[in-house]
Amino acid sequence: MIKTNDLSKSFSGLEVLKKINLSVATGEVVAILGPSGSGKSTLLRCFNGLEELSGGRIQVGEIEVDANQSPRERNKQIRKIRLNTGMVFQQFNLYPHKTVLQNVVEALLIVKKSPKEKAITIGENLLSRVGLIEKKDQYPQRLSGGQQQRVAIARALAMEPDLMLFDEPTSALDPELVDEVLAVIKELAHTGMTMVIVTHEMEFAREVADRIVFMADGVVVEEGTAEEFFSHPKTERARRFLKIEEVI
Amino acid sequence: MNIIWSNLPFLLQGAYYTLLITIVSMFFGSILAVIVAIARLKGNRPIRWLARAYVSIIRGTPTLVQIIIIYYGLADYGLNLKPLTAAYIALSISIGAYLSETLRGAIQAIPKGQYEAAYASGMTPIQTMRRIILPQAIRIAIPPAGNTFIGMLKETSLVSVITVTELLRSAQLLIAQYYVYMPFYLAIAVMYWILSTGFSFILERIEKRLSIYE
Repeated sequence: MIKTNDLSKSFSGLEVLKKINLSVATGEVVAILGPSGSGKSTLLRCFNGLEELSGGRIQVGEIEVDANQSPRERNKQIRKIRLNTGMVFQQFNLYPHKTVLQNVVEALLIVKKSPKEKAITIGENLLSRVGLIEKKDQYPQRLSGGQQQRVAIARALAMEPDLMLFDEPTSALDPELVDEVLAVIKELAHTGMTMVIVTHEMEFAREVADRIVFMADGVVVEEGTAEEFFSHPKTERARRFLKIEEVI
Repeated sequence: MNIIWSNLPFLLQGAYYTLLITIVSMFFGSILAVIVAIARLKGNRPIRWLARAYVSIIRGTPTLVQIIIIYYGLADYGLNLKPLTAAYIALSISIGAYLSETLRGAIQAIPKGQYEAAYASGMTPIQTMRRIILPQAIRIAIPPAGNTFIGMLKETSLVSVITVTELLRSAQLLIAQYYVYMPFYLAIAVMYWILSTGFSFILERIEKRLSIYE
């Protein structure tokens, strides 16, 4: 589903991602872990073109984006990727001037040009799925953070994506609201959706992810199954991250 | 007082023109403002530069001079505009510059995450601007834009110099006929005040309506 080749990214001279080679198989759930500033969010945002590549290549589905493409060509490709990719943000980023249901169906109506009745049916089904159908005519401001994030997940799913990207979906939530959001993501993982999740929730990552990618300082330090990574981290950097004491 | 009552229809006609010029300039000025604000924020270098020059020139010169240039100045080149047309054009151009600055600030106040959410869902930059950013920015821009609109209502008195018979000029014409000043000037002052208050009231209602989501 995703394949990167020497993907690099710098922000005004500062190298944030250094030649990342990573692939994600269809149906796989991958959690990206790592300390702050390791580049994990930036990597996720490269997948759907929210960050421009400084070097290398990335392939999502059949669509390829290359740092050497002309901006015009690249934008065309990125747009194709976005049509098949849903994204959930740390800060939810719901549209405050639209109701919950309008938030969910907006892209269906505007981008996919779906007929209104069909869009509303899809939207209402998704809101039922995340348990928020009774809030459909409310404005986001009236919802708790956890509810807003569930709406954001429904909004991302509305386009029937093949790939879902989660950028620290619970980091902005009060602790007691984290579980309701994680439950929705877990449920989604069981449906076979391909997902890449940047998270700080270790327990959750261990439970839901088929594979863990551990990043630090702009490189992938270690990857492996959740079991391998959490029980027997191979690198010293990962051990430090997991705070596993070395037994001398 | 009697001369006011007997000449009220004439004054009301002046008030009608004042209102008409205000509304027409508000309408075209707002369209211009949206284009210029977006041009300044998202345009390429020459377009940005052009938009900046427009705002700088219009804000840096008196509206009265702009009106006179458009009505009398352009006539030198054979462009003989009707007074009312010249008034529409001059005031639309003027209000467009002020409003574009208000709107630019409002657009910049929209968090980056709103663009990202829209882009991530496959929207084009134009769709994002039209459906997500502008509706929120306009809501932010309404209170300061209200000030501009009320200012514009009063600035319409300037077009009396190009023989548009709006409120001020209708008073001046009556004064030329009756040789008394105060009653007519007071009468139009009251009418300006009523119009401004009405405007404020409508703007407040619009603002309330647009803020239901907060």
